[in-house]
Amino acid sequence: MLSRVAERLYWMARYIERAENTARLLNAYNMLMLDLPRGVGLSWSQLIDISGNGEDFARRYRSANERNTLAFMLSDRANSGSIIDSVTLARENLRTTRDIVPSEGFESINELLMFVRRRLASRNARKNVYDFLSDIVLRCQGITGLLAGTMSHDAAYQFVRLGRNLERADMTTRILDVGSATLIASDSELQRLENRLWTWLLRALSAHQMYRQTVRRQVTGPVAAGFLLHDTLFPRAVLHTTGEIRACLKSLPRNTSAIRSVGRAERHIRETDIHSVFPADFHDLIDEIQLELGDIHESIHRTWFAPRSKG
Amino acid sequence: MRIDWNQYDPGDFHDELIGPKGQPRLAARVLANYLKSLSDQQLARRQRAAELAITEMGITFTVYSEGENIDRAWPFDIIPRVIPAREWQQIEAGLKQRIAALNLFIEDIYNTRRIILDKIFPEAMLAGSKNYLPQCEGASPRFGVWAHICGSDLVRDRDGTVYVLEDNLRVPSGVSYMIQNRSVAKRVFPELFRRQNILPVDDYPAALFDMLAALSPRPLDYPEIVILTPGIYNSAYFEHAYLAQQMGAELVEGGDLVVGSDDCVYMRTIDGLQRVDVIYRRVNDDFIDPEAFREDSLLGCPGLLRAWRAGNVALANAPGCGVADDKVIYTYVPDFIRYYLDEDPILPNVPSYRCEDKQQRDHVLANLKDLVVKPANESGGYGMLVGPQSTVKEREKFAGLVKRNPRNYIAQPALSLSTAPTVVGRHLEPRHLDLRPFILSAGSTYVTAGGLTRVALRKGSLVVNSSQGGGSKDTWVLDSGGKR
Repeated sequence: MLSRVAERLYWMARYIERAENTARLLNAYNMLMLDLPRGVGLSWSQLIDISGNGEDFARRYRSANERNTLAFMLSDRANSGSIIDSVTLARENLRTTRDIVPSEGFESINELLMFVRRRLASRNARKNVYDFLSDIVLRCQGITGLLAGTMSHDAAYQFVRLGRNLERADMTTRILDVGSATLIASDSELQRLENRLWTWLLRALSAHQMYRQTVRRQVTGPVAAGFLLHDTLFPRAVLHTTGEIRACLKSLPRNTSAIRSVGRAERHIRETDIHSVFPADFHDLIDEIQLELGDIHESIHRTWFAPRSKG
Repeated sequence: MRIDWNQYDPGDFHDELIGPKGQPRLAARVLANYLKSLSDQQLARRQRAAELAITEMGITFTVYSEGENIDRAWPFDIIPRVIPAREWQQIEAGLKQRIAALNLFIEDIYNTRRIILDKIFPEAMLAGSKNYLPQCEGASPRFGVWAHICGSDLVRDRDGTVYVLEDNLRVPSGVSYMIQNRSVAKRVFPELFRRQNILPVDDYPAALFDMLAALSPRPLDYPEIVILTPGIYNSAYFEHAYLAQQMGAELVEGGDLVVGSDDCVYMRTIDGLQRVDVIYRRVNDDFIDPEAFREDSLLGCPGLLRAWRAGNVALANAPGCGVADDKVIYTYVPDFIRYYLDEDPILPNVPSYRCEDKQQRDHVLANLKDLVVKPANESGGYGMLVGPQSTVKEREKFAGLVKRNPRNYIAQPALSLSTAPTVVGRHLEPRHLDLRPFILSAGSTYVTAGGLTRVALRKGSLVVNSSQGGGSKDTWVLDSGGKR
């Protein structure tokens, strides 16, 4: 299998997952804003910080209100993390490898892009925007399910699965980082609302219900964070995604260095006692995990996308 | 209303199916009678069914317009063009003769240049040739074959003579559409395929694979054959993907390939670097190797020419073979046939004037209104002057172009391209067409049975290119042995 093909499938899956996660994040954040009493120091700008594109936003928009935030994260082609950009890039990556996946796969990604474009261009674009986001989540999940259910689970599929899980891990750590940011924020009002904040964080990952079933305790920072890092059964918990990544890597050739990098991240997460890092060192922990996820991507890239040695 | 062939009027043109006085030609008789049995509605319904099948099968070509790429459904007309097998055998022999002479010429011109020494072909012609590549001098590909895949354009004039209009030796396209047209036609007229002996065309991918495999520098191993595509934005990308799929070859882009320090070509795969033996490249010479040709090319692979010259990889077509795909050189092909093969050309060239020659140039300039003027190196019907349909201003512009760079232009009488009945709305009207057969050469030579018939869908138009409003038809070479 060509490295380029593997790489494009990997990125296609990452972008679909990214579009879904961004839509989910916007929806959950809106719910939280509606929920919190007025005057609490939580603002849309924090949402933009999660996306990691704060500087770009500040350069091009005047204020971080709901309207601008939505525009930036939903319909701004110049923002490399926006939904429209993710969906467009997912389609571009699949367009060039469309003979590898079942034709319904390309068709549904194509339809998703048309759907998003149509909605954004319509006069009602700003009405019911949250319903629109829910539709995007559903469609992305439809595509993920379609590929899982109709592609042979061969090397090509393993790269799709790798991209999906790495992107998932990335988003989960980003969302955990919001928790850490507000933990150290001195806003006492916000700290009083910690419970509500973490409930929102769980919701943003569709994890609230599963948390309730698994943990059966009131939502607190350390317990929720522990669940999102350590749970091996919840699909968006970091240790679950690394387990998936490890399983994919096992079936690929020349996998030693990539498996080693996953092993490092897993060991680190597993050996961390969440209560001892909470709250002071929590942000640093998340930082380290993100670097380790970056290492996994790097070793995948080095091994399969840019091979140099003669095989 | 049913078709009444007496009402069908191709005017002063040779029609491929219907002879004078509305009499179907012999080979087209079964088809013409069958069409007569269909009502207008039935005919229109079949055309619609064919268009639906094309959409479903995803047969597209890419048009670049307004900064965006659009995949358009392939325009197809259900009425086939019929050629009797006996006539086809003649054409096939002519095409084989022609490609043999062309390959001998290319091999000669990059090596001993016997033809120049013998004063059959003037060396000055090479100086003005954009497609002559000094980097290829002294090379000698396997079998002495440079142009492995050739698509020659044939046209039929008013008197029924078939002429070679041009030989496409660089990266000719269209063959996948020939195959797809056939599969659509079989769905539309299954009963006609049962009743007649129509020669198959779908053996092409297998023939192509065998030809490419014969070029492998490591004949003992199973050859690794790849198709090198410029990528998704190329108008023929559909064809590249289709042929790769049919042959079970990898479809690679320049970035997938790397030339090692051992001068061998490798492709980057998830198993590491894998040796490549044969590259069917659909990237133009200029772009295949930034080390040897255009430095700014991102479509090729640095070192490819080096690997080819070292004999470690086969390139089809060989770089530099475009020297013979030049409309000025074209005018010499009959001379090549006589010189290299000591035979008379079986297929005639369209009579052509070389603007290089003062006498011929003066004639061209004086008669622009009646001639077609073509630049030496354009394809796709671009950059030419069709005299009878031109304005005074266009003719003045071309007169200037010819005077400034006479070597770059030839002129030909405007041919009266033959016609065939074509579905227009709910009835049939004559439309002009040409034919592009494909010729494969390695140790032996293969010619498609028929080829891709392209048809100008606009009334009176002679432009058959799909990028400019052309469509296509299935082409039936009919073995008159009759019913099976």
